[in-house]
Amino acid sequence: MFRTILMLGLMSRLLFADTIDTLLEEYQSTAENSLQTINEKIGHVVIYSQKEIRLMQYRTLNDILKELPLFNINTNQFGLTNYSLTGSKTTTSGFFRFFINDHEISSGYDQSTSLSWSDLPLDFVDHVEIYYGESSFSFGNETGIYFVRIYTKSALKEDGSEIATWFSSKTGHSQSITNSQIFENGWSYLLFANQEKIKKKTLYNQQKLTSNGTKHYLFADISNETSKINLGYTDITKGNYTGLALDATPNDGENISKDFFLNYTHFLLEDKSLKANFSFDVNERSYEEINDQGINITPLITLSMPWSIPKNFEEDLRFTKSNAYVSKSFESDKNALILALNVKHKTYDVLKRKSTNFLNQTNEIDHYNSFKRETISSVLLQESYQLKEDLLVVANAKIDYYDRNAYLKDTDEKLLRIGAIYTPTPHFGFKAFYTQTALPPSFYNVDYTKKNAVNLKSQRYNFYTLEAVYTEGNSKFGLTFDHVEIDDFLYQTPIGFVNIDHTIKTDGLIFDYEYSFSKRDKLHLNYYTSTLSEQINNSTKGGFIKLMGGYQKFDYFTSLIYRNGYDYLGLDIPDSFDVSLGATYHVTKDLSYSLKASNILNKSTQSLYFTNFGSNAFALDDNDRSITFSFKWVF
Amino acid sequence: MKALYLSLTLLHLCYAEHYTFLVQPYSKEIELEAKIIYEIASASLKEDITLFIPNISSMEEKVYTNYFTLTQECEKANFIFINKTEEMPPCPSTKKRLFFTNNYRKLLSNKHFFGALFWNKSRPNIVFSQKRLEEKAMTLPQNFHQFIENF
Repeated sequence: MFRTILMLGLMSRLLFADTIDTLLEEYQSTAENSLQTINEKIGHVVIYSQKEIRLMQYRTLNDILKELPLFNINTNQFGLTNYSLTGSKTTTSGFFRFFINDHEISSGYDQSTSLSWSDLPLDFVDHVEIYYGESSFSFGNETGIYFVRIYTKSALKEDGSEIATWFSSKTGHSQSITNSQIFENGWSYLLFANQEKIKKKTLYNQQKLTSNGTKHYLFADISNETSKINLGYTDITKGNYTGLALDATPNDGENISKDFFLNYTHFLLEDKSLKANFSFDVNERSYEEINDQGINITPLITLSMPWSIPKNFEEDLRFTKSNAYVSKSFESDKNALILALNVKHKTYDVLKRKSTNFLNQTNEIDHYNSFKRETISSVLLQESYQLKEDLLVVANAKIDYYDRNAYLKDTDEKLLRIGAIYTPTPHFGFKAFYTQTALPPSFYNVDYTKKNAVNLKSQRYNFYTLEAVYTEGNSKFGLTFDHVEIDDFLYQTPIGFVNIDHTIKTDGLIFDYEYSFSKRDKLHLNYYTSTLSEQINNSTKGGFIKLMGGYQKFDYFTSLIYRNGYDYLGLDIPDSFDVSLGATYHVTKDLSYSLKASNILNKSTQSLYFTNFGSNAFALDDNDRSITFSFKWVF
Repeated sequence: MKALYLSLTLLHLCYAEHYTFLVQPYSKEIELEAKIIYEIASASLKEDITLFIPNISSMEEKVYTNYFTLTQECEKANFIFINKTEEMPPCPSTKKRLFFTNNYRKLLSNKHFFGALFWNKSRPNIVFSQKRLEEKAMTLPQNFHQFIENF
């Protein structure tokens, strides 16, 4: 007994010798774990903390997303990164909602982030949360089945400047600057600017496909305790890659996009339980392509008149989104209720659209159809109730009313979700959700609908998810199962979009294991497998092994990302093993140099491309083998 | 006893890396902030501490009450931590009533504050003003001397 007390006393003295320093280190380390914004009630969440982003040398959002289970990341025909559900490959995807803080950044045209925001640099990002779940129940935004929340760094924690840059042996180079300051009156700002040169070149049929270009990003956050103003701008100018060319090798072309948003959030009442949010987005995009073998612009082609095929095409389009959201939360010991209203207005304008066909006739074309305005009004409710100390139940309901100016009928969608989180012991936890949601057709879906097809309908998703977590000591095991049924899936055939007339079913199982050797060193294993009721044209199994850590002034990591191979239309797509490793040397607390080798085995994932209205398919590597040097200086 | 409690909590923190689900609002950062403020207040005052945080949130109240006697009135407090955008409370700073802030610029410009706990370049920092410590005839323990700046 005496010995125990003596030991505790000694330990306490030892700890107290530097208690304040230890506490400060602990405070920093806890902040770097980035758990302060997590919301377990809205889905199954994966967190990429500030610490992990630093140790793993994630430079862009895609470095993170390419690891995600039940998720495929490919290069689309425009040379842009695009996200697809397991087993499938889409050209533009609307299943995923992306947020920078409170602002949803998907395109007003096709619901995708590919063109403007897909390869977002992480120099101004604090942490990223990825949820398997429906965000619109909580944030009132448009529907989706996964969502990615990107939290930017806070001026309150930075209050300084940072210069970061990287140079890659293959993929280009980037320069970023961040500046932030806190004022005495409680206001603070954070400014971020980035320029990136993109290099992407591939050979197909002895012809060079290029997606070279330039990207710029500007972001500003101006905040105090109750208000948050976010401004974002990005532009990209790049080559077309395979573009829309019927032979997948355009003679010439260019893709330009400019995106701007303003988002204002204000919290009212003493307990900040009343939240108002207003936002405005404008996106201008231009597309030009010249191809002697023809260009596949679905709405302009009549297959019985081959001369109608364009060989020269250019268009300038403008899209706007205006959004207003107000929510009130009511909280008691056991109960949390959120009531909200959301109104979004979207417009689509054609500034210029011109096409020259095989008879050398040049036509000025306005809208392909009369659908150019849409207002979505939503009422939503989230109720969570602590039934027992270890059991929380969650229920969501949402009604969306779609008011369209023409072409598509006005519709309403009734969405719901129920779930429970059960934590019988501190080591065991279970989480389950049933979600019913609908994804309506976008302007893009309607523009590229199959000719003479009936009007497109909303895709209806029913999904069941179950997650079990067990922690023991320094280990954490996770198992997640999902079953998804999709009615009226919007599928892009080579001659346009159609609703699939039967139910598509997919099941997925994810196994996850983490072991923390210390606060800095971690091993992370993940494996998933899935089934799809349709013919697959993308990977259905995958996983990763990641080891990250540090020793004195060095950080290091190594990772292997696996995706299985598959056969499609006689093409044998091999397994992919993307191995990367890297190290960072911290010269001082403020200056670091990093080296990273990516895709060392040169066994990248591959993406499928088609020629002549889908009659032939071929595959190209998504990533090159490369070495990247980067440095970061904080001052 | 508090020292033992703090030591055990620190030991626990060293190993508590994993969690199942974070169902309850996450309070670990506020908990660490409270512990640091407790260390600072204990080192600065040689008497029991009564803390006043203007406009204290319910989460802060829940956490800080484990370490301090809290008060809603500035006059009854001997340690005042201003961590929000607030006008200075209407009670004077005296030798027995200390003002602390989480804003470095406020510390520089307002002589009522004798120190600050704030973030800079993603790192938490503590700074005490030597002049103001002298004015209040305060002596801090040896392990706090590294935080004293010459202004």
